[in-house]
Amino acid sequence: MSGFRRLVRAEWTKFRTVRGWVLGLVAAVALTAGLGLQAAAGSHASCGMGAVEVACPAPPVGPGGEAVTDRFFFVHQRLDGDGAITARVASMTGRIRKPDERPGVTNLVPGVVPWAKAGVMVKDGTRQGAAYAAVMVTGGHGVRMQHGFTEDRAGTAASAPVWLRLVRSGDELTGFESPDGRTWAEVGTATLAGLPESVRIGLFVTSPGDLTFSQDVLGGTVAVQRFTEATAAFEQVGVRGAATGGAWSHDDVGVTVGPGGAPHHPGRHVRQGDTFTVTGTGDIAPAGDEGGMRAEQTLTGLLAGLVVVVVVAAGFAAAEYRGGLIRITLAAAPGRGRVLAAKAIVVGTVTFAAGLAAAAVTVPLGVRVLEANGNRVLPVSLLTGARVVVGSAALLALAAVLALALGALLRRGVLAVAVAVAVIVLPYFLATVSVLPLEAARWLLRLTPAAGFAVQQTVMEYPQVAGHYAPVLGYYPLPPWGGLAVLAAYAALALGLAVAALRRRDA
Amino acid sequence: MSRLLRAEWTKLRTAPGTGWLLAAVVLVTAGVGAAVAAALADPPYDVARTALAGIVAGQAVVAILAVVSVGGEYGTGMIRTTLTAMPRRGGVLAAKAVLLCGLTLAAGSVAVLGSLAAARLLLPGGEALSLADGPVLRAAAGSVLYLALAGLLSLGVAVAVRDPAVAAGTVLGLLYLPALLTFLVRDAGWQRLLYRVSPMNAGLTVQVTEPAGLPLGPWEGLAVLAVWAAGALGAGGLLLRRRDA
Amino acid sequence: MEATIEVAGLRKRFGEVPALDGMSFTVTPGRVTGFVGPNGAGKSTTMRVVLGLDAADAGTALVGGRPYRSLRTPLAHVGALLDGAAPQPGRTARHHLLWLAHSQGFAGRRVDEVLELAGLAAVARRRAGGFSLGMRQRLGIAAALLGDPPVLMLDEPFNGLDPDGIVWMRGLLRSLAAEGRAVLVSSHLMSELEDTAGHLVVAGRGRVVADTSVADLIEAASGGRVTLRTRARAEAMETLARAGATVAATGRDTLTAGGLAAERVVELLTRDGVPFAEVSAHRATLEEAYMDLTRDAVEFRGAAR
Repeated sequence: MSGFRRLVRAEWTKFRTVRGWVLGLVAAVALTAGLGLQAAAGSHASCGMGAVEVACPAPPVGPGGEAVTDRFFFVHQRLDGDGAITARVASMTGRIRKPDERPGVTNLVPGVVPWAKAGVMVKDGTRQGAAYAAVMVTGGHGVRMQHGFTEDRAGTAASAPVWLRLVRSGDELTGFESPDGRTWAEVGTATLAGLPESVRIGLFVTSPGDLTFSQDVLGGTVAVQRFTEATAAFEQVGVRGAATGGAWSHDDVGVTVGPGGAPHHPGRHVRQGDTFTVTGTGDIAPAGDEGGMRAEQTLTGLLAGLVVVVVVAAGFAAAEYRGGLIRITLAAAPGRGRVLAAKAIVVGTVTFAAGLAAAAVTVPLGVRVLEANGNRVLPVSLLTGARVVVGSAALLALAAVLALALGALLRRGVLAVAVAVAVIVLPYFLATVSVLPLEAARWLLRLTPAAGFAVQQTVMEYPQVAGHYAPVLGYYPLPPWGGLAVLAAYAALALGLAVAALRRRDA
Repeated sequence: MSRLLRAEWTKLRTAPGTGWLLAAVVLVTAGVGAAVAAALADPPYDVARTALAGIVAGQAVVAILAVVSVGGEYGTGMIRTTLTAMPRRGGVLAAKAVLLCGLTLAAGSVAVLGSLAAARLLLPGGEALSLADGPVLRAAAGSVLYLALAGLLSLGVAVAVRDPAVAAGTVLGLLYLPALLTFLVRDAGWQRLLYRVSPMNAGLTVQVTEPAGLPLGPWEGLAVLAVWAAGALGAGGLLLRRRDA
Repeated sequence: MEATIEVAGLRKRFGEVPALDGMSFTVTPGRVTGFVGPNGAGKSTTMRVVLGLDAADAGTALVGGRPYRSLRTPLAHVGALLDGAAPQPGRTARHHLLWLAHSQGFAGRRVDEVLELAGLAAVARRRAGGFSLGMRQRLGIAAALLGDPPVLMLDEPFNGLDPDGIVWMRGLLRSLAAEGRAVLVSSHLMSELEDTAGHLVVAGRGRVVADTSVADLIEAASGGRVTLRTRARAEAMETLARAGATVAATGRDTLTAGGLAAERVVELLTRDGVPFAEVSAHRATLEEAYMDLTRDAVEFRGAAR
């Protein structure tokens, strides 16, 4: 093993004594940090309040620390301690805004979007982002039990009319459904840790925007969210428990208020005895792209750094073949596989270190700059942030090893650079901004080395949230480390082929 | 000039990679175009542009062809022989540019015709593609010109940078990165600015059949790329004349 | 056109290091001019300046009275073999010469002639990448002869040649000069030029240290020293010292005397009756003469141990 250590040391000496390579690494760090911070400094956001520009409000944050959307119409009363609410959702109707046919005339058509929700809820107050659990019927996805903004459990595929019941016992909530109000089936249980004694219990309706996709004139697709609202009729509403004597109050949770103080797209309700007709718009879900910028967007400069690193690594391998240095190298160390392994270790380590330095500075600093400029940035946990930084460094290192292997395999720096860029950057480009349909784009990010970019993702795709889960918005088809593993597999494959070729060929 | 052209032509013709790279321009362009066409189930928003999507990949091969045509000489030192035989350095670069341009136009035409043929067979909505249609003809001819200009841009960069691997990285970075950043930056002002100045986005505007709403018109966009190519060739030519070989 | 190379007052710096520091010399037709000097003396830089590849900071370099870059068919005026200007490995020898011929408007027939001349006809269709160093040198010579030029400038042409090749190269250089061409040949090894060059330009630290014929150089370096072999060393030393010579014992029965011609030494010894076995005038080799000249001009000398 000490022989191999010597080999690594020799390759390291070879690397650090060529000024162009060292400068290349410095340039990679500078480009990554410089472009990222430059873009952050250039992104300003403010929210208009009529003629007045004000700082955008921070998005509400859910119990898990993630940015959430929390908007719905809530008819509720106080519940102290254990209790339950039962209601029959008799009907669910709604309206969807379509593109105006005549300018200036709002075109609303009847309809309910698949993820419109009507049901019963227990929530820790009416503050946006407060903990909750709810059982509901949806426009097209049957009965669901949801809590904590991200958790979702399917019940039957029933649609209104349907009976719903939510039972609180301590911090445990259980949802039930019934076709007739007599035979009940459990939908799911949620434990809301730290739920206080006194909570709000009641009926809610909300309806997310209608999502349509169209081709962006600049390339790629854009998603348009159109206003929708849902109206549900609740019958035979009954609350059991130590409530405040059946005094109902109501809140349009999360409603946006216009410049004149009037609510924008308000919800409403009508009560007739124990029958309530509730209308709401919005969603109760993790926030996607609309919640703010993603932390990894500060790392767009990493692409430039990656290209530089590819050039350096390919050059490090191909330089052996210019002027016959390889013969000296192999005379000094005849184990050909070991020579290449030593090279890969050196290139991988130095690029990892450079990437780590660049990302560790750029991400926190870039987020600060973005926020200082009034941009909302989706909060990420410390662990996720660390994964983005370390993963980006690993992405750079693996790209470098891939380029090194290609350089040794093709023996020409220019070809190695072109192939490396073509297999890493080109698929990423095609998947994010080209004319490809979403599914084809996802396959590109599963099968090509560009899958490695998944390690940067900070947003997750949720089946219960209709969203524009496009790669350009930071959604990848593979999990972060899974995507990086694909890139690692390509790098390993290329390295293996290069070792085989080096062993077979005359130097 | 005719001697310079003849000499550079002999050089290109007898270099082992030229034929392969020209074939690769056609295969990669038409192949990627066909793959995109086959991947689509519904007629795309812009049929002609989608049919010609392979240009995005084909330009990388054109870039290699251009980089290799000068980078190879610097790599071996043969550039000294070249400049000893042909001391008019500007003329040497001009001859290389003319020949590269001619070869790329030829290969690009075949590639574009191949892409359109593939689209007529495979692309939903592609049956109606016809070069008799003005915007389609503009997209097709513009794509061929795009390849030639991308080649000239690469040639200029390669002469300026000299090291072929660094030149390849610079050119491909210059083409792909601003184009990517245009979409990764979600700020609308930045997007339009980047779109206007990035050689690839601006240049490929020529493929758009209905350019309403774009920051640039089709020919305007190609002109942006032409400015890039002229700038790179100018800088390369200046450095070539000023520098010791 | 006149077959000359005129270099006058060339200066050039690479950063802090002066590469050329007033280099001036003229190469005249009809003989082989050796351009010698230690590594780093500025030989290759001078040649590159003459060929218009590098620009000098000051001074002029003319070929046949004209700057190189003004020549319309430069290869018909000057043939050059450059160090570190290898042909691209993927191209065959013949194709390499063909594009060069086309650049000057020469017919392809000439290519086959120079291939024959350089002894490469058998490998004309092989890729230059597979060539040995010697074959590459021959290909470079073929390229230099392509335009049948009156001036030839060859940088280290003996590099990589085998003994047969060295003999061939010497013969070729001599015959080219005999045809009335001006031939400038650089080398850092004097011995390679021993029987070939008639004239020498010795460079050191970017300027000309000596510009002389080979005969004069050797004469100057020999410096009138006489080697004497005698059984009576002490007496001989005394006799010669009294006559004003600087005498040094070099062995048990040998000594050298400086400042006296061989004839005078014989005369003195005979007069005083000192027996001696052998008197020989010392003749410096070209190598010695060259070492004498360049001793001060060596840039990179091995450290003394």
